[in-house]
Amino acid sequence: MSNPSKTKKRAYSVGARQKAFPWIVPFASVRLTLALLSFSMILIFVATLEQVRIGIRGAQAEYFESFYGIWYYPEQFWGGHLLSAVPLPIPGGYLLGGLLIINLIAAFITRFQWSGKKMGIQIIHLGIILLLIGQMTTQAIQVESRMLINKGESSNYIERFHGVELAITDVTDANRSKVVSIPEELLKPGSTIRVPGFPLKVKVSAFGPNCSFDFKDSASMRSAITSNVNQGIGASANLSLTPLDEDFSNDAANFGYLVYQLIEGSKELGTWLAVSHPAGNDRWKMVHTKLEGMAFQPLRHAGKLWGMELRSKREYLPYSIELLKIENEFYQGTDIPHNFESHVNLNLESGQKRKALVYMNTPLRHAGKTFFQYQMNKAADYTVFQVIRNPSWLVPYVACILLSVGLLWQFSFHLVNFLRKQSRVSA
Amino acid sequence: MQTYYIEPEYEGPVVAWKLPPTWGENPELSGPMAGSFHVKTDAGPQGRIGVMPFREAVSTLSITNMFGMELGYERFTEDSLKSVMTQKKVGDKEFEWVRLTEHNVTRDPKTALLAVYRQQDETWLFPFVANANLINQEMDAFLAFLDSTTLRAGKKVIRAARPVSSPPLSKPKGGPTWEAPKHWVPGKASSVRIASYLVKDGKGNELDFSITSFPGDVGGLLSNVNRWLSQVDLPKIENSTDSPLLSSFKLDDKDAHLLLAENKEKTIYGALLFGPSQSWFFKIIGETSLAKVEKENFLNLLESVCFHDH
Repeated sequence: MSNPSKTKKRAYSVGARQKAFPWIVPFASVRLTLALLSFSMILIFVATLEQVRIGIRGAQAEYFESFYGIWYYPEQFWGGHLLSAVPLPIPGGYLLGGLLIINLIAAFITRFQWSGKKMGIQIIHLGIILLLIGQMTTQAIQVESRMLINKGESSNYIERFHGVELAITDVTDANRSKVVSIPEELLKPGSTIRVPGFPLKVKVSAFGPNCSFDFKDSASMRSAITSNVNQGIGASANLSLTPLDEDFSNDAANFGYLVYQLIEGSKELGTWLAVSHPAGNDRWKMVHTKLEGMAFQPLRHAGKLWGMELRSKREYLPYSIELLKIENEFYQGTDIPHNFESHVNLNLESGQKRKALVYMNTPLRHAGKTFFQYQMNKAADYTVFQVIRNPSWLVPYVACILLSVGLLWQFSFHLVNFLRKQSRVSA
Repeated sequence: MQTYYIEPEYEGPVVAWKLPPTWGENPELSGPMAGSFHVKTDAGPQGRIGVMPFREAVSTLSITNMFGMELGYERFTEDSLKSVMTQKKVGDKEFEWVRLTEHNVTRDPKTALLAVYRQQDETWLFPFVANANLINQEMDAFLAFLDSTTLRAGKKVIRAARPVSSPPLSKPKGGPTWEAPKHWVPGKASSVRIASYLVKDGKGNELDFSITSFPGDVGGLLSNVNRWLSQVDLPKIENSTDSPLLSSFKLDDKDAHLLLAENKEKTIYGALLFGPSQSWFFKIIGETSLAKVEKENFLNLLESVCFHDH
């Protein structure tokens, strides 16, 4: 008669598990782990080099938030004059991260010993798997925005750092304004968009993430892209425009542009130009008085007044934040910031107020969003928060706890065994 | 795509209307007009209908005199105004209603129908200037237009959102005369823009000179000076008494203000005269290099201004 506990133990042995899942075994290879870790080092090296050229956001998008990236060997490196023309595919973060997760899970199933003696190692690897999953989830679903608040005022919306929308707001009603917004994904040149809640169709002539612009003396001197603009600020200021690639560098200032027609039935009402200011359209008045109206290009139609603007993609919140006071400190004799502080009131949906102090590395968390101190201008009396919505923000914390528990378990296990052996030897 | 409602954020004035089918919108706006329209006829666009928001309460007497002088009327007084003014309710709005008909013309005389609407501290003027027959013919459309309007005062200073066209009327009788340099090229005039001149040099630089007139003080000295300063990208001044850019002087023996503001690229010189019922603005704006050359001519023009009232 066989011993049931031994039988059970045999069923969970490494050999039994490898027999049960033979197709997983190749994925559990240590060589694969080492190869993936080596590629990860290459990825980090290449992305670090590229960060100088295309900025953090660009490097992130090109190499980490993708399955592969194309890298060109730098000209200034040895042999660069020959090699720089050759495109080199680099495995991206999603590919390496995904494979590492598979590799670790496969190792977990077919290679690791499931025993108390090795439990620490299992917990450590579980923590690493969780870290990888958490990072990939964060990259996939985290949304970064900003909130600018003037001192003494409050704000109830956040704006994305990247991405714009055409917002058309009906301001006729004194008690509430109706907003219809068209995201940039739909603003494709040549497309005609029917917008629910807006009586006219929007036909897109041109759209781009960045441009430079110039005032001209007459319409005939404008660039081809704005030559047909006959309404709004684009026409009155005779704006000429040159499309540019989106700038991903750290100090990027992308001016998105949109040339569009409004159509009533089959009748074209005119062609407008809208340009978005990267710091918010209320900044246009500081650029030039002729451009102040970019924040609100009026359209009167059927007894209603609509305002049109191309702006950073906006999200309204059911609560608001009021800026009471700002303080900034610099290291003595330098202009390197030591501390930025924003004293705020969080005006909750329920009507209650909550006082909060937001400063470097001490954010305000509310309703799934984290408000980090990002920028500040004491002279102009405003503060800017970086607002992060990351539903998986707790995952790294759990992973780190698991790693700590695993390390502690493994260390304690060996320590206890060592002490036992020592006591036996001394006895 | 999203549709949602928010608390009102827009702080400007809200002026909206339904345009009658027989009317067309004039593409170019100027001066203080928020809207400008014409009547579509077989003979082409005729008449002129406007929407003029004033930030402060402007007297109906001032407005009537502004249009009356153009139609050959003597200056109205509070008493004589009663003969041409009535109250008229259109929908839920109460208007002061003034009808002026060109003097000494019997056949289809030019007529100005002025509808003045007051709301809080704001005044909204809807002038309909056309021949009498056209006004009679379009009366229902004008009333429907007035009824359809949504008018709400803004927190910000009213300014036209795009360059506006105004009623093409002749130089008001009783207004000032002046002597302009011969090389200044006269431009179009309107009821608000009394005179325009274009000044050019051979290098492509240009200056725009204008004389404008409005009823009331149109916001007063400081707000007008700051509006002008913003046109040449100069910072606003806090008060009008100690600014080095602003000085007092006599314009045809009347107390007036002189603004001399030069920026690196653009310059504005202007004279502001606030009369008891009417304000006068003399302004030249454009490239600094040319403005410096023409400064003397501008000051000479101011010296030549005569209102013929003393």
